[in-house]
Amino acid sequence: MDSFVTAILLLSTLLLFRTKKTMDAVIIIAVQSAGLAVIALLMWQKTGMVHLFIAAVLTIVVKTLIIPYILFYTVKKTKANRNVERTMGQFGSIFIALILVVTGQYVASHLSLPGAEHGMRYLATAIILVFLGTLTIINNKQVLMQGIGVIVIENGLFLLTQAISYGMPLAVELGVFFDLFVAVVIIASLSFRIHSAFHSLNTEKMRDLRG
Amino acid sequence: MLALGLLISPLLTGVLAGLLSKHKAADLLQVIGAFSTLCFAVMIALEVFSGHRIYAFDDLIYIDALGSFNIMLITIVGFAAAIYSIGYMRYEVQEKVITRKQLGRYYFFLHFFILTMLAVSAVDNLGLLWVGIELTTLVSAMLVAFYGTQHSLEAAWKYLIMGVVGIAFALLGIVFLYLSGLNVIGQHTTSAMQWTELLKVATELNPRWVEIGFIFILIGFGTKAGLAPMHFWLPDAHSQAPAPVSAVLSGVLLNTALYGIFRVYAIANVTLQGHAGDYLIAFGLFSISVTVPFIMVQHDLKRMLAFSSVEHMGIITLAVGIGGPLGLYGAFLHMFNHSMTKSLLFFSAGNIAQKYHSKYIDRIAGAVKSMPFTGSVFLLAAFAAIGAPPFSIFLSEFTIMLAGAEAGILWVSCVFSTLIVLIFAGMTYYVVRMGFGEMPVRIGRKKTDYWMRVAMCIPLSLILLCGLYVPEFLEHAVWAAANVLQGGVK
Repeated sequence: MDSFVTAILLLSTLLLFRTKKTMDAVIIIAVQSAGLAVIALLMWQKTGMVHLFIAAVLTIVVKTLIIPYILFYTVKKTKANRNVERTMGQFGSIFIALILVVTGQYVASHLSLPGAEHGMRYLATAIILVFLGTLTIINNKQVLMQGIGVIVIENGLFLLTQAISYGMPLAVELGVFFDLFVAVVIIASLSFRIHSAFHSLNTEKMRDLRG
Repeated sequence: MLALGLLISPLLTGVLAGLLSKHKAADLLQVIGAFSTLCFAVMIALEVFSGHRIYAFDDLIYIDALGSFNIMLITIVGFAAAIYSIGYMRYEVQEKVITRKQLGRYYFFLHFFILTMLAVSAVDNLGLLWVGIELTTLVSAMLVAFYGTQHSLEAAWKYLIMGVVGIAFALLGIVFLYLSGLNVIGQHTTSAMQWTELLKVATELNPRWVEIGFIFILIGFGTKAGLAPMHFWLPDAHSQAPAPVSAVLSGVLLNTALYGIFRVYAIANVTLQGHAGDYLIAFGLFSISVTVPFIMVQHDLKRMLAFSSVEHMGIITLAVGIGGPLGLYGAFLHMFNHSMTKSLLFFSAGNIAQKYHSKYIDRIAGAVKSMPFTGSVFLLAAFAAIGAPPFSIFLSEFTIMLAGAEAGILWVSCVFSTLIVLIFAGMTYYVVRMGFGEMPVRIGRKKTDYWMRVAMCIPLSLILLCGLYVPEFLEHAVWAAANVLQGGVK
């Protein structure tokens, strides 16, 4: 089960570099977040720590339902479905993503982290998610896809804290969820305004300020 | 109780002023709200600086001298910005740039922004500190995008993405720091993330993880504080935001991010036996030197001021890195001076830009003639910001130079003084051109709005006073804040 979830996380994230539709990316985010919830549930089952269960429920509610819904609504309203544009071509994107996957595995195996017993197996995946999220932001020219990159990074960090220490103290965890929620609302709101000011969501047009 | 009041007051103000924005009374209401926040801050300061510390809510809230110092700066600048906003925004409404309804949204976000910064300075938990700093980014991005023009949206988007990604790295750093203390403090107690607890056991933390964590946090929060080379969002955001927001961004938001770095630095420097300071010196010097060419060749008034903020953040970071009682004293004195001077400078520059309908330096001339009050204040503030005596920034910059010499790193002081002389030359050239020179014919004389004058008088009186001598209350507050870091300095 563990390896299965890990595989789903990795595959779905790699698909981010192939898709041409923003809507697919939103679905990928939902699937990825569901994977995180399953991992938290598995750890809860093994350790019996209540706050892992709370984290799992929150992940399902906030990350797999509310956030994808907000993004879904934004994509629909801005008609941004078919304009995923990347700096690199499809081949180049996937190639670099794969290199990052290998690098992530390598880094994880060389970090002598004092990690948690049932969490360490996810460490590599967590680091890879952070890498791939950053690549998504750098590589995409479209505003919403950059926002999705931010969510992938957050997901990676969430998994990382789970892997190392079964998550952070609950008060902090709640705060991080709240922040992510506000961040997505603001990303959506700015996307609307960028769409109405530029008639497009492409960051190529936003290059006036420099020096 | 006081801490609760401090946090609830801006929230209520923002919500009420936002809801009632149709009425003119909302303008006054938000000033009263900002004033009550200031009163709470003063009461907290009185208690903290008389030697007590404030704990509340199961140790979630902890305010010591450093926190209280930052809270005072935030509320003073916030109060001045609230007053200034009345005059500034009335003009914008009159010119039909914005509607009253948008004004309500502005008030809401402005006070909510102040709330998030206050929360950062009042929590005792590195995780919640991170949550607060992330919230400051999110809320202020909406303020940067306030005008909704293409440029402001571009600036806001760049700021949002840079801020969120940068801060994500800081979270990674905090996780490492959390890890370094797990063996000592134990898992899953909230106290493993409390910096008061971490500071107590700082000598027993795992130095390797502390060092990695500190670097991540320095880079992450450094992005927010505008340290080079992560600073390039800053001139965009500061130049596109409405003037009162620029003043708050530059005057206190950057300090708040630095506050996050310093809290961690205090811990890391103990664990690393004084070597953490080297990182701060490197980042500080680099930030100062990066701004030199941008200030010397600049077309946009507000961008020039923004680069000057990068410079001053570099100076403060450098001073804390140099350390020692003198260095820390200089650092916090400089923090105070910069907050006051830069907010004053943005207030007057905003007024000038409104009057000349342009932010471009080439189009602004004869400001002293066309706007006697604002123009003179602008000149004074600009000379204060570049460190000309008898203004207070000269004093703190001089102290920092001395501290460098005293700490035995003379070359740092030499490089530092060379760089600020270059910046002095660059900024003086432009400022004198804008202040004097032939006033364009299309610009008539104009009296400065009453509210704007009052707003500018607050920081102006403070920098004039502190230039002549450092008043006792400030002296005491600066020493107390420096003492909090002192525990962590070689």
